[in-house]
Amino acid sequence: MTVATKETVELEQYLTFLLSSEECAISILKVREIIEYDTVTIVPKMPPWVRGVINLRGAVVPVVNLAAKFGMQEKPVSKTTCIVIVEARFEDQGTIVGLIVDGVSQVMELSAEDIQPVPDFGTQVEMDYLLGMAQVGRRFALLLDVDKVLTTEELLDLGEVSSHAENALTGERAEEEPPLS
Amino acid sequence: MEIRRDVILKNFLVESAEGLNLMEQSILELESRPDDNELIQAIFRVVHTMKGNASLLEIEGLLAFTHSVEDLLDTVRNGKLAVTSDVITLLLDTVDVLRKMVAAAGEDKDEHDAGARNILARIARRLKENEKPGKGKSAEDKPEEGPSPLSVSEAALSGSGIAYKESARTLRVDVEKLDRLLNLAGEITIARGRVAQMLEAKEQVTLEEIRDAHSFADSLHFEMQETVLKARMVPIGPLFHQYRRTVRDLAKSLGKMAQLRIEGEEIEVDTSVVEHLKDPLLHIIRNALDHGIELPALRKKKGKSPAGMITIRAAHQSRNIVIEVADDGAGLDRQKIIEAAHRMGLVEESGKLTDQDVYELIFESGLTTASEISDMSGRGVGMDVVRRNVQALRGSVTMTSQPGAGATVRIRMPLTLAIIEGFGVGVGDETYVIPVDQVIECVELPAEENDIARNEGVLQLRNEPLPFLHLKDHFGIPGDRGGRQSVVVVQHESSRAGLAVNALYGATQTVIKPLPSIFQDVPGVSGSAILGNGRVALILDIPALLRDYRAQEAHES
Repeated sequence: MTVATKETVELEQYLTFLLSSEECAISILKVREIIEYDTVTIVPKMPPWVRGVINLRGAVVPVVNLAAKFGMQEKPVSKTTCIVIVEARFEDQGTIVGLIVDGVSQVMELSAEDIQPVPDFGTQVEMDYLLGMAQVGRRFALLLDVDKVLTTEELLDLGEVSSHAENALTGERAEEEPPLS
Repeated sequence: MEIRRDVILKNFLVESAEGLNLMEQSILELESRPDDNELIQAIFRVVHTMKGNASLLEIEGLLAFTHSVEDLLDTVRNGKLAVTSDVITLLLDTVDVLRKMVAAAGEDKDEHDAGARNILARIARRLKENEKPGKGKSAEDKPEEGPSPLSVSEAALSGSGIAYKESARTLRVDVEKLDRLLNLAGEITIARGRVAQMLEAKEQVTLEEIRDAHSFADSLHFEMQETVLKARMVPIGPLFHQYRRTVRDLAKSLGKMAQLRIEGEEIEVDTSVVEHLKDPLLHIIRNALDHGIELPALRKKKGKSPAGMITIRAAHQSRNIVIEVADDGAGLDRQKIIEAAHRMGLVEESGKLTDQDVYELIFESGLTTASEISDMSGRGVGMDVVRRNVQALRGSVTMTSQPGAGATVRIRMPLTLAIIEGFGVGVGDETYVIPVDQVIECVELPAEENDIARNEGVLQLRNEPLPFLHLKDHFGIPGDRGGRQSVVVVQHESSRAGLAVNALYGATQTVIKPLPSIFQDVPGVSGSAILGNGRVALILDIPALLRDYRAQEAHES
């Protein structure tokens, strides 16, 4: 980012955070708030990445673990574990969802030029859930598409065949195990 | 300026929705009392108000449309145009188009779509024919001409849905009730202050005094809760009246004759109950018309009046509301249901089934498709959906039938959905809430029954076998089962089962929070509640749990 571009190029802000060891980012416009991790009430018979619900000032909000969804190595809850409350779209309606992340890093400004297309392979996250990649220091951050993360079909399917989904997830993990770094 | 228009527009949407419902009712009544001038006036007023608002809000398309409708109504009012069935149909179609236009206006769209143009053309034709003396009656105004705005079945399907959504989320409340609430809020503030003061000066007051002050505040709080719940109560009549239109349109499209009789419309229920009953009732009424009521010729042959009668009635029964939809049609065909169920493998020996067992089969999902293929009286169309919806509201639905004389669907629901008396149980680190009225008793689980390898078992309770399941294993909660276990005996209708849990927390008033939409179909869970410690507890759906359990049993044996 140079000073010259700042005046002419529209910058958008992104919140970056850690999922397992992967740096990820979402548009700040999607973020409602960030709260400390607290015990999540388990909702039975859901796919393993849907962790359950929490009480957000009187509203019952679902919480998902994206690391589990993307088949990353899950980290135990630590001091830096947070829940990022985002506004996602689900069945054409705005839905509030909590994302469990292993640590919030920073807010950075990106212009459209900074965002690069996703390579066909080499990322741990399925391409459908990504908007692109952006350079953060020496590494790349994955820009997540929050609206796609909660796709209807998946939830509908998974509600019925959660065990099946679990197998599929672990299978995926095995395939993508070779680390990219 | 822009903001004020927003406010006016919002009011306009709500008012128009109400007005159009009134207009629809009046039109339907006009059909049976064509000479009632008061009804025509009522319709006229609704349209006129809309026209005024449209002009204020500068919605040109709507303005022009309402103007034409007024022209038509004017000729009816002056007695120049007779109220025939066709005119009624035209007016009803007009209501549909107006609903669409109002909804469009809410999204800042203002165009005449095909439906609106069709209505305008029909109105123009009517008026023109009416001017030529003696020709008015002979000309038949067929709705089929041109692109029909809403096919009959579509109108019947959607009921009066478009505008309903807009208005359903607002509620008119008696100012008196609000005043009472305000007073209570004031009193609670004072009582709270008193308790705080006492706690502050704890040396000078006794524990007894603080407890008294607290219990006084408590009673005020309880009263406030009751008053809020009461403020949410609305009469069920308007919901019922919406179905008049459904019955009229659907009967017409099926070539049948039917009337809707409404009883107990003054019964009050929570506004959310009304919202949630809308679709199940629509399903049931459609079923009654489609499969229950016979064609006029057949009815005559059977010695019945050619017009079928569907009765929808509401009544209180202790803390429940009971809604019945009865028809005087053919009733259920026991044999055909059994055959269909047999094909699907739902029943093995039909001889043992009581009538009640057979009618229960109607609510099984899938039975409907099988019966449709075989072209039998597939009375169960969507009935599994009805049952699921009603049970999600902690209600139950049953069916009775007299062959040849009709069938009755009976829905029983709690009056309010907001608060239940809940019984808390602990499983691992999780807490679950069971509606108290479904809890029969609690017993200790004998150590010898606590078999780690199995997640269910059978217990001897006063010499009766009681099947039970370990909630922890059933829900896949991680961790050990723990030492002592209690069994909560739950009941729904005639089936009973035990749920083995780690801890019993006792009964408390529980405020129900709906689960986020992504959890819509979690088996065994009907909702959630927030506990005193701020955590979320899930409310168990006992009927679904018992059903699951029975299905599992059947599968295993």
